Amino acid sequence: MVHILENGEHFRADNREPEPEHEGFGSGFSINDHLDLLIEVLKRLDGRSLGAAACVCRQWCAIARNDSLWEHLCFRHVSPPPVGVRPVVSALGGYRRLYMVCVRPVLSRLKRRRLGGESEVVRRVWNQHEVELSLSLFCVEYYERLLVGGGRVAGDSPSSSLKFLCMPVNV
Amino acid sequence: MEHLSYVKPLYAPFLCFTHHSFSLYSLSISISPHISTSIHNIFIFSYSYSPSTHPHFYMGPTPYNSSNSSSSACSSSTKPPPPQPPDQMDHLLAGAGYKVRSNDLTQVAERLEHLETVMVKSSPVDISDIGNDAVYYNPTDLASWVDSLLTELNPNVSGSGSGSGSGSGSGFVSGSGPAYVSDPVMNDMNNVYGEFGQQVVTPIEEDVSIRLVHVLMTCAEAVQRGDMSLAGLLIDDLQGLLGRVNSGCGIGKVGSFFVDALSRRVVNSPQNGVVQVDLSAYENEILYHHYYEACPYLKFAHFTANQAILEAFDGQDCVHVIDFNLMQGLQWPALIQALALRPGGPPLLRLTGIGPPSLDGRDSLREIGLKLAELARSVNVRFAFRGVAASRLDDVKPWMLQVSPKEAVAVNSIMQLHKLLGPGGPRGPPVDLVLDWIRDLNPRILMVVEQESNHNQPEFLDRFTESLYYYSTMFDSLDACTAQPEKTLAELYIQREICNVVCCEGSARVERHEPLVRWRERLTGAGFAPLHLGSNAFKQARMLLTLFSAEGYSVEENEGCLTLGWHSRPLIAASAWQAIPKPSVVTTGR
Repeated sequence: MVHILENGEHFRADNREPEPEHEGFGSGFSINDHLDLLIEVLKRLDGRSLGAAACVCRQWCAIARNDSLWEHLCFRHVSPPPVGVRPVVSALGGYRRLYMVCVRPVLSRLKRRRLGGESEVVRRVWNQHEVELSLSLFCVEYYERLLVGGGRVAGDSPSSSLKFLCMPVNV
Repeated sequence: MEHLSYVKPLYAPFLCFTHHSFSLYSLSISISPHISTSIHNIFIFSYSYSPSTHPHFYMGPTPYNSSNSSSSACSSSTKPPPPQPPDQMDHLLAGAGYKVRSNDLTQVAERLEHLETVMVKSSPVDISDIGNDAVYYNPTDLASWVDSLLTELNPNVSGSGSGSGSGSGSGFVSGSGPAYVSDPVMNDMNNVYGEFGQQVVTPIEEDVSIRLVHVLMTCAEAVQRGDMSLAGLLIDDLQGLLGRVNSGCGIGKVGSFFVDALSRRVVNSPQNGVVQVDLSAYENEILYHHYYEACPYLKFAHFTANQAILEAFDGQDCVHVIDFNLMQGLQWPALIQALALRPGGPPLLRLTGIGPPSLDGRDSLREIGLKLAELARSVNVRFAFRGVAASRLDDVKPWMLQVSPKEAVAVNSIMQLHKLLGPGGPRGPPVDLVLDWIRDLNPRILMVVEQESNHNQPEFLDRFTESLYYYSTMFDSLDACTAQPEKTLAELYIQREICNVVCCEGSARVERHEPLVRWRERLTGAGFAPLHLGSNAFKQARMLLTLFSAEGYSVEENEGCLTLGWHSRPLIAASAWQAIPKPSVVTTGR
């Protein structure tokens, strides 16, 4: 049984019985039968929730790892949306990696500068420069992995050039 | 003590009495969270006592450069004093005939300043009472002498209290420094965080820091004069002082590097041979890489250069970038990616990388070229790489670069041009020759990034002072980085620069940094016109800096050039230039 709250941010799923045989919920609706709806919901989540969604079950994990969801997350607030970026980003490691390694730390660091210290990443509008800078940093990071590992795209931890993004801010 | 006279005070009010030629430099200690500004705010407390027959009258401030004129009033002694433990008489002053305990130095200085203000405010009648007697009190015991005078002039002033520190120390602080926060409880070497969230030095440690800078300057002056025996003794002094100061940060760390460099210079004179061991290209790359990661200077250089090159290549289909120091090619992935995403599609990109020849058989230039080619292939940018191995930039000849007339050329020099400022051959300094053939290539942009400091002055002491200030600022900024081993290796990288500036001479000294104004003159004289770095570069640089953890970095725009600095001291300057075609050359088919 799945409870979906209004903004889709908190959810609970009990997926041990995928068949729609429950009591008390009327028509026996299961989100897993309607994957397009699920994807629509997941598209609107923030990064942390999307990561949590990937931990729910194997099916959700496979869906949540879909790069187009993360592309949507990275650039949904960029206006105009960057064109032609997708092949580049895919070549450099994918949107999920872009988010984890660049976008999330950059956003949180920039936001912390402006608002002075909340811990949550709030949704905000990117500007073109921030997008370009993130992409450049992402590219440098990819290149450093090339230098080190001879091309293997392993792990989620960023290579050393982006360590400065993960360091605690000395405010 | 003769070496006292060679210290350069930045501001030295002289106070002189008729029957004793007594020059007094007041010591004003200002606590500054930054060692760099503390060096600038240091007033060196030194004085000399020469019982001359004719009186000297000096009143008022002396300008910065005239300290050497005071040497005429100084006594000279032939033997240097041995190092003393801290609670004994200060040996530097003892050399001049005064007995002051080291512990009391700050307090005595405060009271001397107080005496000065009292004397200035007092009416001439009061002072003449003192001046009428030939000897009033024996000034050898300076502390009690000052107190006696103070009680004479102003009976309300209490006698000298014992004690540590100076309480609020309001008489101490010079006008320009931030407030002095003293904490008499903290008598150990730990630093205390003051109200600005930065480090405040305890009184004891601060004495040592000031003494350290004092002796460093004196030693450098001795080296400049060629007095190596005195310099050697002073270096022993310095090692002792370094042991007493916190060498993990601040003046202790920078000081230790400079002491090391000075000792190398004293031990191996530059004329005798190699002072600085060459590292292999591989080791150089490692240090460079960690310097790249620990602080934003190289990143700023790369990103600013890329932005300028990108704008210069707008609309061009065939572009050629010449990099004067390829290293690991960390600058180019971002340019390749930006070209891949530019509206209208990527051009054909050729990259020529110049680097030192690798001695261990691996062709590092080619390896880097392969990696860059792989990256370019993944993002669908047509890419060609060529490596030119040359140990010095003036060994490169233009035909090696194979520039075709149809392509747009960009020349990228990140901290390389200053190496050409050394003594040149018969045809002139190497930099002019290199700038000449760059101009012949007719590049659309010449990108020059250089350290913003003057380490190429002919006098050793000027270079030393300037580099002490510059590198202490840089180490200040490096303190913000906490990642190890990046920080330590970055410090090693900077240490090699320091060593080169201080120890080497002639053609071995390659770190001949010059400030932006000099480069501007040089480049305009060589036939280049400045290109303004646009607002995009500025915004990108600012954004890049907000991503670094420390708050102290600042980007400034200076007549179309960008400088990155730490707390308003610029440390690195980026400028863009365009070649003015030579009028006498007949251009074909352009």
